[in-house]
Amino acid sequence: MASLVSCPHCGSRPKEEFTVKGAALKRPAPDAGQERWMDYVYLRDNPRGAYEEYWHHTSGCRRWLVVTRDTATHEIADSRDAALGVPETRA
Amino acid sequence: MSKYRLIHRPALSDKQPFNASGIGLTALPEGHVIHVLAEQGADPSAMLKGLAEQGHSVRYAAPGQWYIVGDEPLADDALAALLTRLTPHAEGVDQSHGRVRILARGPMVERVLAKGSGTDLALSAFVVGRSTTTLIGHIAAHITRVEDHAFEIMVLRGFAESLWDDLAQMSAEFAA
Amino acid sequence: MTSYRLPKGGLIDRQSPLSFRFDGKALSGFSGDSLASALLANGQRLVARSFKYHRPRGILTAGSAEPNALMTIGSGGRTEPNTRATMQELYQGLEAQSQNRWPSLDLDIGALNSLLSPFLGAGFYYKTFMWPGALWEKLYEPFIRKAAGLGKATYEADPDGYEKSWAHCDLLVIGAGPAGLGAALTAGRSGARVIVVDEHALAGGSLLAETASIGGATAAEFARQAIAELESLPNVEVLTRTTAFGWYDGNVFGAVQRVQKHVATPKDNVPVERLWRIAAKRALLATGTEERPLVFGGNDIPGVMMAGAARSYLNRYGVAFGKRAAVFTTNDSGYALARDLEGAGVELAAIVDSRADAAIAWSGKARLVKGAFVSDAKGGKSLSGISIWKDGKSETLDVDALAVSGGFSPIIHLACHRGGRPVWSDTHSAFLAPTKLNGLSLAGAVKATSGIAACMADGAAQASALLGELGFKVEPATFGAVEGDIAVPAAKAVWSIPGIKGKAFVDFQNDVHRKDLGLAVQEGYGHVELAKRYTTTGMATDQGKLSNVNAIGLLAEARGVSPADVGTTTFRPFYTPVSFGALTGAYHRDHFQPVRKSPLHDWAAKNGAKFVETGLWYRSSWFPRDGETSWRESVDREVRNVRLNAGLCDVSMLGKIEIVGADAGEFLNRIYSNGFAKLPVGKARYGLMLREDGIVYDDGTTSRIEENRYFMTTTTAYAAGVMNHLEFCSQALWPDLDVRLSSVTDQWAQMAIAGPKSRTILQAIVDDDISNEAFPFLAARDVSLFSGQLRGRLFRISFSGELAYELAVPAGYGESVADALMDAGKQHGICAYGVEALSVLRIEKGHVTHNELNGTVVPADLGFGKMVSAAKPDFIGKAMVDREGLVAEDRPQLVGVVPLDPAQAFRTGSHILAKDAAATLENDQGYVTSSCYSPHIGSTIGLALVKRGSQRHGEDVMIWNGLRNEYTPGRLCSPVFFDPANEKLHV
Repeated sequence: MASLVSCPHCGSRPKEEFTVKGAALKRPAPDAGQERWMDYVYLRDNPRGAYEEYWHHTSGCRRWLVVTRDTATHEIADSRDAALGVPETRA
Repeated sequence: MSKYRLIHRPALSDKQPFNASGIGLTALPEGHVIHVLAEQGADPSAMLKGLAEQGHSVRYAAPGQWYIVGDEPLADDALAALLTRLTPHAEGVDQSHGRVRILARGPMVERVLAKGSGTDLALSAFVVGRSTTTLIGHIAAHITRVEDHAFEIMVLRGFAESLWDDLAQMSAEFAA
Repeated sequence: MTSYRLPKGGLIDRQSPLSFRFDGKALSGFSGDSLASALLANGQRLVARSFKYHRPRGILTAGSAEPNALMTIGSGGRTEPNTRATMQELYQGLEAQSQNRWPSLDLDIGALNSLLSPFLGAGFYYKTFMWPGALWEKLYEPFIRKAAGLGKATYEADPDGYEKSWAHCDLLVIGAGPAGLGAALTAGRSGARVIVVDEHALAGGSLLAETASIGGATAAEFARQAIAELESLPNVEVLTRTTAFGWYDGNVFGAVQRVQKHVATPKDNVPVERLWRIAAKRALLATGTEERPLVFGGNDIPGVMMAGAARSYLNRYGVAFGKRAAVFTTNDSGYALARDLEGAGVELAAIVDSRADAAIAWSGKARLVKGAFVSDAKGGKSLSGISIWKDGKSETLDVDALAVSGGFSPIIHLACHRGGRPVWSDTHSAFLAPTKLNGLSLAGAVKATSGIAACMADGAAQASALLGELGFKVEPATFGAVEGDIAVPAAKAVWSIPGIKGKAFVDFQNDVHRKDLGLAVQEGYGHVELAKRYTTTGMATDQGKLSNVNAIGLLAEARGVSPADVGTTTFRPFYTPVSFGALTGAYHRDHFQPVRKSPLHDWAAKNGAKFVETGLWYRSSWFPRDGETSWRESVDREVRNVRLNAGLCDVSMLGKIEIVGADAGEFLNRIYSNGFAKLPVGKARYGLMLREDGIVYDDGTTSRIEENRYFMTTTTAYAAGVMNHLEFCSQALWPDLDVRLSSVTDQWAQMAIAGPKSRTILQAIVDDDISNEAFPFLAARDVSLFSGQLRGRLFRISFSGELAYELAVPAGYGESVADALMDAGKQHGICAYGVEALSVLRIEKGHVTHNELNGTVVPADLGFGKMVSAAKPDFIGKAMVDREGLVAEDRPQLVGVVPLDPAQAFRTGSHILAKDAAATLENDQGYVTSSCYSPHIGSTIGLALVKRGSQRHGEDVMIWNGLRNEYTPGRLCSPVFFDPANEKLHV
């Protein structure tokens, strides 16, 4: 029915203004190898708890964000501009 | 074809202004809208301030992006001059025909817009001069508080009629 | 006639009588009545028939938990079934109909079900109607649906308007009873932004049914003054007739306001209901409690009522619920009613208190029987007497009204909507709200505080604390002394009542009685979630507001455990039913979804276009001319004319993106699979975009307008997606690149001018030289139009295979420019053509669209293998496009297909089989992705994705449509049916 997502640029907004892309993973180097790329494109963790996701403030400032969302409670712990990068999560 | 009489057709030319005690809706003249895109890391604020001091209306759009808007159309040379002034730290893209502006004014304007937008538009939270892009119903629009009880609403041209119809419906209870 | 209006009292306006009808019978009430109070005042006790057994039912409550008094209100498109009479305000001319009875409420044939009740117990669906299976749909289900049920929705359109609105506040107060008002007055005085919602027409909650006084004023008068103060404050909004129905993520609350459900004729332009989404920094739940029924025989007979409800009818509405009453209570609440009944002159025969050790002092006239139970109520359509059971002995008492109180269940629903589970408290014999609710606190009776003064003080204290968290400093409001309040301390719940003979109902709305729960446990369905489904207790419109806790208590007893061990089913929104109208809001009919209009829409319309919805766009499909009788005739004519003369098509819907910045070229190089680094200024290039998995995502042309300024076009379907993708790549993947994006889709009216005469026609309005030498194939430049009156962008690109251009002009001039081109082209035979002809032209030329780029193909499948750059170090999709499965020998590849007999046709979606192969999955060779009648070829033609298709040109195949069982012998061929040498493009 309703929920809010915080945008670091625009503040708290209804989720309808956003588009979610999924896990915020670091894109591998082009020569990182097939296995690494298969991981990046297809494999996802499915944690209960904190999860970093790419969200796009599509009907707002149109910035891509990295949103740290709890998958069980939907509480959003952090939201930052995607240009700040995401950490390397898998070897 | 020098004799051909080119006709400019405003997107909202079929809409009558909506006037009610609580709220009025007016289609603003299709003058100029320049999308300003700053180079990353550049700070064009001094340049934008200069433009504002010369009477240009500058609206914040997003990080590193602004709109310069006005009721007067810009001739080719005036547009070129303005675009040049934005360089080297920013580029402009002409959106004078791509965006349509509607003025919503009246004591009920916050209440009308709250029917479409989840943005907190209370005067204390959203001061005069502030801009943002938000969904109004199903249509994204760029809104600027231009007075205590007035917002300029800028929308993609293709959605202008639809947004107008939605705003008129949202305003209807405040008529008469 | 046993309930009646008292000569004085109540918050009704006796100067304003209202007439209304119930089942056609003319009755009257007063302004301020609910439909329920007005029915009772008229002695109308029998108001409904029960769901399963069609038992006579009366009004049980005075609020939103009402399980029995559901009625159909209004007529025509305004018919509203299952309206709770207790929540419906009376208005002049109101028409109410009882439900689930035939032929009438008094004589209901369905009541025969009662005789079948031994067969209709818990789980009867599963047991009785198992075999034979075929009878289920034909016999059992229609029978059950007819016999059981609630009201019927109308098929007529609802003439009324609905809308949604957002609201924001520092503090949301839910419920305007003693605690809520205490909180709201405190918060209001702080200057914080406050919203108060209350589901009744009159705020005040339990105060409205009180005879106590606060600071010398009646409780109701105190409430009136409090609301008046709140309404005078600019920072406070009071929403009455508004039910907060859900608590959602981000501390957003859903609420529905019944704006015009209490009037005979709703005003036009004002919604009848408004759905609020309230984003609250803090919220206070002050929803009070629900009084619990007691489970004794015949506890559903009209005349049995909740004690608090009886008190509300007495004090708020001036209605006595009977002439000779009794009270059956497990706690002190019954005594407040008893006192008030005697005070109003209603005869009270007895108070039956289950507690042998009840300590409360009773000084009234009625006899007090302690340690006793009402084991059975007697009567048919109206109560005639009760059996009082004490120490194994029974006595009978003639009464026509019985008030019951089995204790109180805090209304904690909203506090449990975000995953928290209720917690059983032995002390309070009730489920309490979970703790640690982020952003939501509770005040008053909902957290088991008892007494008016304590509740008001708690509300004030909670509001002060919550606002303190937000930086507002405000002292809790204080109030005058409360006199005459009977506080109700917690008392031990009574689940099983001894000596029962009749049917003892747990869930009134679903006709679930005590034995059904026993049966559920006996048959292994004792888990609360299973018991709910097995017996249907707690289902339907009231969701067990009255029944759930009793059901849990009885299950606990049957299993020999504590209610804590049984637990509750999950509380989910909505607290009470919300109409589809409110959930839809204004977004229906013409406002269902936005319409996106091309700047050439009116041009197309005046040229006679038939429009088709493409996403949100209205695109011109074809332009019929006089005498043309079918769309095919028009489309064939348009196609032929483009190939013979010229045509103009609106392509404004293509996505258009302006890309600027020092690294724009490098960015495009990484976005497209083919090279863009060397694209010269003034040139357009066709580009393929892949996804990271190597599959083709979108295609289009990008032109270099200036050194660092590019103009990209995307397909119409993926315009928004491509923009999002480019933003993702520039912001998240490569923020170090200087690339900036602006969507210019709406800035430009874009038209395709195609056909051998297109240059001649265009030259009439274009000032620049556009000869083949000056403006060759793939030229892309800004041009001057109409002797310098206008600047446009001209692209020499072709989708049709003809000499063709696309001209973009500022959108506001689009119609005028299109008019000029049609004028200039008249002598050259120009026609307007739509997307159908556009599609035929592109299929003839073998150009792909998203029919082919369908999320399964890689560039090589389309013959675009050379567009995958081997030289570039990186681009989206590079790492994955060469995977084993994507380079396999037997990949489906783009191929043309024609019928062997030109008179035969086939359809898109048909499958390709080897010539003599059977239609099996193993023999599937591929499928037709696009097809049309080609005027150029003179037959149906198709594009298809077929295994090894590029090596099979000339092979005879079978084109099979399994849905229609059509077999068309065909032949595979080159996908380019028209001008394979591309000579026409370069003329």
